[in-house]
Amino acid sequence: MKQWIRWSGLAGFIAISALFVLVWMFAAGPIIKYSIETFGSQAAKAKVEVENISLTFDPFGIEIEGLQVANAEKPMENLLQFDRAVADIELLPLLLGKGIVNEVALTGLVFSSARQTSGALENAAEENDSSSAEQKAQATPNEDTASATEQALPTADEIMSREPLLTEQRGKAFKSSFETIKADSDAALAALPDSKAIASYEDDFKRITSGRFDSIDDFQQRKKEFDALKKRIKQDQKAISQASKVLANGKKDLQSQWSGLQEAPAEDFNNLKSKYKLDGAGVANLSRLLFGDKVGEWSQEGLYWYEKARPFLVSEDGGAEAELDKSETARGEGRFVHFETDRPLPDMLIRQVQLAVQFEAGQVAVNVYDITHQQEVINRPTRIVATGLGLKDIQSLELKGSLDHRVAPGKDAFDLNVTGMALNNYDVGAMGLKLDRSQLNITGQAEVIAGNLDAKTIAQFTQAKFSSKDRTQVAVEMAKALAKINTFDIQGKAKGELTSPSISIESDLDTQLSQAFNQRLKEKQKELEAQLKKGLNDKLLSYGGDYSDQLKEMDLANGSLGDKKDKLKKLSRAKLSSFKDQQKADAKRKLDEKKKAEQAKLEEEKRKARAKAKAAADKKRKRLEKEAKEKFKKLF
Amino acid sequence: MIGMLAKLLKALNSDSAPGQIALAFALAVITGLTPLLSLHNVLIVFIACILRINFGAFLLGTLFFSGLAYLIDPAAIALGESVLTNVAYQGFLTDLYQSDFWRATRFNNTLVLGSLIIALIAFIPVLLISRWLISVYRNKLMAWVEKLKIVKVLKASKFYKVYEALAE
Repeated sequence: MKQWIRWSGLAGFIAISALFVLVWMFAAGPIIKYSIETFGSQAAKAKVEVENISLTFDPFGIEIEGLQVANAEKPMENLLQFDRAVADIELLPLLLGKGIVNEVALTGLVFSSARQTSGALENAAEENDSSSAEQKAQATPNEDTASATEQALPTADEIMSREPLLTEQRGKAFKSSFETIKADSDAALAALPDSKAIASYEDDFKRITSGRFDSIDDFQQRKKEFDALKKRIKQDQKAISQASKVLANGKKDLQSQWSGLQEAPAEDFNNLKSKYKLDGAGVANLSRLLFGDKVGEWSQEGLYWYEKARPFLVSEDGGAEAELDKSETARGEGRFVHFETDRPLPDMLIRQVQLAVQFEAGQVAVNVYDITHQQEVINRPTRIVATGLGLKDIQSLELKGSLDHRVAPGKDAFDLNVTGMALNNYDVGAMGLKLDRSQLNITGQAEVIAGNLDAKTIAQFTQAKFSSKDRTQVAVEMAKALAKINTFDIQGKAKGELTSPSISIESDLDTQLSQAFNQRLKEKQKELEAQLKKGLNDKLLSYGGDYSDQLKEMDLANGSLGDKKDKLKKLSRAKLSSFKDQQKADAKRKLDEKKKAEQAKLEEEKRKARAKAKAAADKKRKRLEKEAKEKFKKLF
Repeated sequence: MIGMLAKLLKALNSDSAPGQIALAFALAVITGLTPLLSLHNVLIVFIACILRINFGAFLLGTLFFSGLAYLIDPAAIALGESVLTNVAYQGFLTDLYQSDFWRATRFNNTLVLGSLIIALIAFIPVLLISRWLISVYRNKLMAWVEKLKIVKVLKASKFYKVYEALAE
């Protein structure tokens, strides 16, 4: 048997193996350091620097010292840095090219620390320049939201400048129409004959139509002039009709728009009144005003850290599948057949990361489980559990998170529970209000699916005590109203795209305040309403100020058009008789005169006959009377 | 390369046991046909180092069978696929899969398993056939080969000088 064993071969094998291990030991540190810095920088979009990396053998693993992850948005600041991290790595999977880390323990973790040198990536600097404008544009809505929440009670002027007003819309439309119609009317009126022209028409008519025609030539000359005059009059009549139509239509339009404009302030007022109502329903604005800035600030903070941490915890949904497909279909290399196991091995897996984050209020222990870009292999999501340890003014704090990307689209879910949080001297920010003390319990849930956020948080305040340093009547009344409130809750909701979610706040504080604060609010409401009315009326006047005068002018113009029209109508009806007609008229006149003379003569004769008959009758009556008298005398 | 070939010829023409050369060829079947960077090949190289076999024959054999593997790979993959997906072996394979050691051997790769099965099946035949061929060569062909003109030319070449140097 001994003749079959080659001892020199055994020694050679051991020597080569030892050499290989030694080379690997010396090379592994720099290779891992290079990998962390290169791939980490790609994920963080900023410099990731490691001071030193060394291998440990019991247990096998690596020790990372002095890691700094720069903040891509603030290059002179670190997103995070830690003094030391010890990773316990499984050796056998490493032979398969799989980095399975059982546990990573971080110490000396600090967030947002200052850097000595810029952490911006050289090739990213240019991209940052070009994208800064976009970032600004994206940031604008949030800034708007923030500024909206930071405002104190809005004044009437602020409300009117912030809200789209019908008065303004209709006013602008009215002004524009008014100017157009005025220009059209002026043009139409300018084309009309003035009073001098009409007087000259009348004179011409008199001159042409009066007096006898001396001859046929005279008649024809006058006839020509008469026709020309009538033609001019007809044109003027047409122009007058056109002008009246323009004036009538313009007036109709303006009147219709004017009535709309006049109604606009009332409509605006009603809209604004319901929106900025300071009664039971409207106090919702007030709770947003009191706590909105803080809720907005916390939401921004949470989203900021979520977006920063996410690339390190999970990969995008498509990436892992594409990589998996590639390894499954590669020809000439065979394929790996996976069997059921409770210990699946993805290419990279960190089973547990332990870290302690130091806050002002104390320490929060954070455990992150199953960090991998191949969740479908281990069939478990990445989980985060953060627990407060002996926090000052907080009884308990627990945050549980799950980043599940086994099936696309991935779902990131978080649960927050904070109990017994003591709030002291919390500056509310509006009207000098301060929450002197309160106990607070917070529960919150958030889900992010395909870049869309749906989050809900309920904060329950108990033993609340408010005060205000402001001496304004509103602040005093508000403080008085709040003094009666011991318990209230605030519900915050965030929904929409992760980059710009819409945040809403509801609170039963509003209902409570509405009861305690109603009277004061009514007064304030009246004040605001009066200011709004005045403001809206001012706006109305600014748009329709000289409308009445203009309307009067248009009426006058329309009236004068009527007079002109009547005169021209009369003139246009006039006719020029012909020379023959004149002859006929002369003959007729003579005949008439003859008839009249004969009639007079006949009348005279009749009168004379009647006088003669009367004289004969009188004579006869006198004779009969005489005879009667004589007969009577004879009797006596 | 020339040295390796010379060593092989020296071994063939020397009094070395034919079994030592044949075993080198048989081990080379495994390293040659299966993917080289596999855990089982570390074991084969270790065996090749500590056993008194002809290492030149082992290296040349590995080279030869690696070339042959390009032709055999499709069949090896198909064989590995059929074994790994065979319902009858699922329990056994699943048990192996639970162990990090066995997973480190990449036994669940169709090419690794298929080519290893082919290599193991070929091991004994290659061992026996090559041993028989070496015996035949030494007894019948060696004298005839040495008389060939081409061999005489070779003996006058640089290659033969290397061979001579090694032979001494």
